Parts: sequence; structure tokens; C-alpha cells
Amino acid sequence: MTDFNRRQMMTLGAGAAALAGLGVPLDVLAQASAKGQLTIGFPADLPTWDPNARTLAAVQSLYKLVFDQPLAQNEDASPKPSLVTKYAFTDPKTLELDLRTDVLFHDGSAMTSEDFKYSFFERQQQPVPQGGRKLDTSFIWRKVTAIETPTPSKAIMKFSEPMPSAVAWLYFLASFVVPKAHLEKVGVEEFTKKPIGTGPYQFVEYQQGARLVLVANEKYWGGAPKIKNVTIEFIRDPTARVAAFESKRVDVAIDVPIREAQRLGTQTGVTASIYPITDIVLLQISKNGGFADDKARLAAHHAIDKAAISKALFGGFAPTISVPAALGSPGYPTGYEFKFDTAKATALLKELGFGPDKPLKIKLASTNGVFPNDFDTARAIVQMWKRVGIEAELEAIETSVYQERLRAGTLPEATLFSWGNAAADPEFYGGYLLDPKSIFSAFKSDELAPKIQPLLIETDEAKRLSGYKEFHQFAAERGFTIPLFQTVKTVVHTNQVVIAKHVNGHILPQTYSFKS
Amino acid sequence: MAFLALQLLIKRAFLAVPILLCVSALVFLILRLLPADPIAMSVPPGATQADYDMLRISFGLDRSLPEQYLIWLGKLLHGDFGGSIFFRRPVMELISKALPATLELVSFGFMLGVVIGIAGGLGMFMLRGRWGEQVLDGSTTVMMAIPEFLWAILLILFLGVLVPVFPFIGRLAPDLTLPPAATGFLLVDAALSLRFDLLMSVLAHMALPALALAIGIAPLLMRVLRSSLLETIHEDYVTQARLRGTSETRIVIRHAFPNAALPTLSLIGVQGGFMFGGTVLVEMIFAYPGLGNLMIDAVRNHDLPVIQAVALIYCILVLGINAVVDVIYLAVNPRLRLKGRAA
Repeated sequence: MTDFNRRQMMTLGAGAAALAGLGVPLDVLAQASAKGQLTIGFPADLPTWDPNARTLAAVQSLYKLVFDQPLAQNEDASPKPSLVTKYAFTDPKTLELDLRTDVLFHDGSAMTSEDFKYSFFERQQQPVPQGGRKLDTSFIWRKVTAIETPTPSKAIMKFSEPMPSAVAWLYFLASFVVPKAHLEKVGVEEFTKKPIGTGPYQFVEYQQGARLVLVANEKYWGGAPKIKNVTIEFIRDPTARVAAFESKRVDVAIDVPIREAQRLGTQTGVTASIYPITDIVLLQISKNGGFADDKARLAAHHAIDKAAISKALFGGFAPTISVPAALGSPGYPTGYEFKFDTAKATALLKELGFGPDKPLKIKLASTNGVFPNDFDTARAIVQMWKRVGIEAELEAIETSVYQERLRAGTLPEATLFSWGNAAADPEFYGGYLLDPKSIFSAFKSDELAPKIQPLLIETDEAKRLSGYKEFHQFAAERGFTIPLFQTVKTVVHTNQVVIAKHVNGHILPQTYSFKS
Repeated sequence: MAFLALQLLIKRAFLAVPILLCVSALVFLILRLLPADPIAMSVPPGATQADYDMLRISFGLDRSLPEQYLIWLGKLLHGDFGGSIFFRRPVMELISKALPATLELVSFGFMLGVVIGIAGGLGMFMLRGRWGEQVLDGSTTVMMAIPEFLWAILLILFLGVLVPVFPFIGRLAPDLTLPPAATGFLLVDAALSLRFDLLMSVLAHMALPALALAIGIAPLLMRVLRSSLLETIHEDYVTQARLRGTSETRIVIRHAFPNAALPTLSLIGVQGGFMFGGTVLVEMIFAYPGLGNLMIDAVRNHDLPVIQAVALIYCILVLGINAVVDVIYLAVNPRLRLKGRAA
């Protein structure tokens, strides 16, 4: 037979072990962060280092490390001064801004109103290079006709028509100040290889899809960050993020599944912060098919036990909402509640001639895996609807398919959707989701237009906010939208790190510290 | 031999042209027939319907499908893959950064898979009829039954967390920086810059993802090699060798293996192609910044130019592997060389 004996097998095994060991000395394996160094497992990477180019909500936190916005937000999402110390509309089409005078870019040059003008007006006016694309800020700030800079610390924004949301936009997506002189000198391509801003951290190294290394900006106008070295590891897979945390390769893991966060939170030396943020989950409703009648839509809304879904799938951490806005945000009508009421749902359906024996047949679309528990939420809703006499055919779709159908007006009766709004301004909730002219709205109703259009140009802030509260309530009571709950953020971290919970969902290591 | 190999490679290169054209047209067509809107995915707040229409025009999506394809193909012939809708950067730039990582990983995984496959196949054969064969046979079934991405997670849990032997995030330890004269191939860069620490770190970071990929190809190679050896061992020349008193190990290594290796070699070519497909999920799980990771982003955002480019690159790589395997086959199979000379 063969003379391949046990001794030879042992020799082979030992050889294999030696080979394996050869490549992995212990010091190489030591990925755990050293003292004074914070390593974060983050779920998304940047598409580009031009902060004005894309309005991708998932990575705004990363831009905020290197760049500053004219205004910032407190932990409760309310605005606070940043590069801009004071602002006021002097008339509905003029916004005056006072800028700080002690702000330096990472190359040591001073930030002035010229940089502001460049970031919010001049860059948008520049011709798009061959094969290039317009900056996203070109669309956002399209109403800006000029920015006057009477002094290095004063900027006056002129608008073609009132833009009351301009203030909120100054701390929202892609609104970052970039260095005019440096960008014009090196060009966008070079700039994105080694970006400089006025932010709390300076860029050290970036490996696309892998890692971002930053060091504290000791000359930061707001005071140098307490944590001096920050490394962001881009780990998309939630299981891998959990594993990275458990193996101490990262000190902080963002957006881990809630159950995992709860489990890790019970371990010694670990804190799991689970908190609701201003992003919301809702059913985008269309008039198509079975939802043409208000009663059918209202029945569908009354039939959903949102609290039960929150408890079952989000550990009860997702606050339920009755209008398309986060609880306590400026556009949320205080004390208003759209009740879970199966009896009412059954009665409304009965008026239309439907019931469990003769169900109303509709379609419900949902993404699967785009945001936590999306498809499970949709399945739960299907079951809840079934009890009152709505038979929903559930379809899993990609986000791009949702967008295509939204554009073409072919969305089914209901689509489960997640909507981000870190600014928490009501215009970015109902103003975008329900304005029939908005490219994001699913329900195109003539009844909505006259109610929303005046709010989009209302510069009296108190009037604007109370108007949105009424508008949101009106939309819910007519079944133009079925809001479900707020999104939940999970941050798992070692007890050595003290984190700040920002309800806008941002992860800002500049506000973190190490326990002494 | 060199002439025959060159002849073969030229033939393969000519054949590759229509194949690439077909693949590119197919990918192009399928992506555009999907009911998904790449522009809508990247329209910022504040954009109007007119802006949306303008963006469609700027990406050429308002033109007919044949027109779009020909424009894309024309640019491609000039080495221009177009601009990414999602990243707002030239696709070529994205690919040039991601491709070396994937090539390095696949090469390592491929070698690991071949080594495990051949060693395992030889082991199964030499231990035939013993409990060791049953153990190895059982292990091939387990390896085949579990998909690569699950292996990736299991490897992370066992060798990354439970017994933290290997790192599993990215390509390099966080305290190490990339060498300045970077080719993108970190092993090469580390060697060129004489950075032993970098070299070891890169190898350590590749170990688990490469093993996850290797497990995808090794069991099949083991089984095919064992079957081939079982057939070869009954050949006359093996009997002759036994009569001459040659040891069993020598018979297997020197006589049976070279003849039994040919079917395994063919399989290696096929499996090498499949391995690139496996990188998509494996790279995502290991946060490995290669083509697979890029593809995930592109698919999620329906970034047509990137999907098309990556698909085409995958196709070129698979064709390249097949051509190389053909040359190796020619080198180790004297019958093919004789046939080639006669032709």
C-alpha cells in the first residue's frame, strides 16, 4: 500500500504550522489601538474628498472631521455657531453672516469671507470640466445669486427668491467651507488626494475602502480635540464590525445590529449606546391601485402596531412617530398621536366593502438589507394588515428600483423607506417628502401643493415651523403618508472612551474623550 | 515549446476580442434593461425635474441603447472607462487603486488553494483505506458545503476573535504607512522599499481572506486529483516501477502525479476564474479595498460605468488565467506539444 506513516504526517503538520507562523509575528497582529489613539469601525467610505461634491448622508461625519460648516449642531440637533457666529435675514432674500476671525486652514492660511463665497457661490458657477459633474451644492444653493464680502469676516448671501431653509442648509449636507486659494492653486484632483480644511482633525492618510488616518488640529479655533489620533476603519459588514470590536481591533463600532449591541453591552468594560436619531422610517404612499381612497390608506395606518414592531425588531429603542418628522423636532406637532386602532381600521375598510373575508389587495415594496430590519418590518406590517382585511403582496426591491419607480410614478400602494434628515428641519421632512413638485415625493396631491408652497418661502421662522406642524398633521390625517418610527443608532465602545450622542446620527470623535 | 506557447497565446488573444465584445454588450444591455435609475440615486436635494433631465443627458442616458454602447466602446478603446456616477471620479482611477489589491489577494488565495488542494489530494490518495482518508474526504464535503462568505465569517470568528491569530481588517496594520513609490501591489512595494514589517503585515492581512477564497477551490482539486491518481495507479508503468522495487511514495510523486495532474490543471483554470467572483463578498467582509468592494458600492448605487468596467476587468482576468493555464498544460503535456508541432 503506502509507506506514508504517522511520523511523516506529523512532520507535514509541523511544517504547515511553521509556515503559518512565519507570516504572522505577534507585533504584526497587534491591531488594537495604542494609548491616545482611537480606532473606529465605520460602516461607509467616502465617495470623494471634495466635500461639496456629494450629499451622501452616511459620510457627512467623516467630512466634519476635516472640514467645518458655517453652522454646527448641538447634541440635540439644534443649531449653534461654528465658522459663522451670527446670522440674520435682513430681508426675505438677504442673509447676513458674521464669520469668525480666528480660523486657520490646515496649511496655516486664514479662513475669510472669500473662502465662504468660493464654497457657496463661485464653485457652483464654474464651468463643469469635460467629463466632470456638477457639484451637488450647485443644486442646493441654486437660489444664491451673489455673495457680497464687504469685510473678511462678513458675508451677505443674496437669493433669487426667499430660501428660509438656507440657515439649516448651512449645517446640512455638503455645506463645507473649502480653501479658495489652495484649491485654485492645486486643482480639485490634487486637493482630493490631500484635502485641507479648517476642521478639528488634519488629514494624514487615506486608503480607499480601507482606512482614514487623522491627527488632531492643535490650532483648531474651537480648541484642539482631546483625542489626538483617530483612525477610521471602513468595515461594511456588520458582523465584521462586531468581530473587530470583540477582538479589540477597534475601540468603537458604529451601527452594529441592536441585538449584538445589547449583547456586547453586558460585557465588562463595554458600553453600548443605543439611541434614536432624527432619521425616520416611513411608508411612502401612492394613489395607485387600492390606495386611491383616503379611507383605505387611513385603515392601513391605523392597523400598524408601530410600538410592537419597535419592541420586536429594535428593542423598543425606536420611538414611534405619527407624522413624518422626528419626535421633538421643530416640525413635530406636540402631543399629536395617530392611534393604533384595529377596530377603526376594520370599520374604515368595511365602509369600502373590504374585510378579512374579502381583503383589499395591494402591493408593499421594501428594500432588504439597506437599513436595519427593513424587510422584517415590512413582513410584520403585512401580517398586521392581514388581520384587518388588507392583503399585501410583499416585494423586495433595490433602492435604485425604488428611485426609478418614484421618478416614473409607478410606485405600488406602499413602499417602506428610510429618510435621513440630520438637520431635523421640517422642510427636509414634509417639505421634500410631500411637496408634489419635489422629486422625492411619492404622493402627488393637488391638496398638498397650496399648503406646502407658502411654507417653502416663509421667512418668519415661528410661522414657518407652526405651518409645518399643521401640514405634517394634515398629511397624516389624510393618509398621504404613513410614518412609522425613528431610526436607531448603535455605538458600541470600550469604557475607556467617553462618547457624545448626537441625535442627528453624526459620529464626531472631536467631541469624544478618553477616561482619565 | 516557446514558439508553441506564443502561438497559443496569440490565438487566445484573437479569440478574446469577440468574447470581450459579447460580454461587454451583454453586461451593457442587461444593466440598462433593469428597472433601476442610476441618476435618481445621485440626485441631490434641491434638484428639479429639469436638473434630473440634464443629468441624464450629461451621462448620455437619453440616447438609444446602441448609441450609448458605441460611445462607451469608443471611449473604452481609448482607455477611458468614463466617469463614476456615484464617486464622481474617473472609473479608471478607481480601478487602478482597487485592481492591485484584488490581484494580490487572488494570487495568494489561488496559490494557497492549489497547495491545499494538491497536498490534500495526495494525502487522501496515500491514506486510502484508512481513517485519515475518511477525515479528509469529510473535510472536503464540509468545505464545499459552506459558501465562501460564510467561511470568511467563520474564519474571522475563530482565527480573528476566539483565537486572535490573524488580523482581518484591510490590507495593512493601522500603525504602518504605505511606501511612497507605490505600485499598488503592497507585497511588491514592501519588497522594493525593503520594509520587512510591511511585508509581514500585508501577508498577515491577506491570510484569512485568501484562505476563505482558497477553501472555495481546494476541495474540488483534492477530489479530482485523488480520482485521477486512483486511475493512474493501475497503469502498466506504475506496475513496472513497483516491480523495480521503487517505493510507493516515489511512485506516487515521480510517476503517478505528473500524469494524474492534467485533469487537476484544467480544473485549476476554471476554479481560478470562479475565484474572482468570490472576492466580491470576501473583500466586503474583510474590508479589503479591492475590486469586489468597489463592485458592491457600484451595484448598491447602480453606478453603471463602474459595474461595466469591473465586469469587463473580471472577464479579462478570467481569460488571462485560462490562457496561462493552457500554456502550462502545453508545457506539462507532451502529447499536446507533439500535436502542435504536427499541425
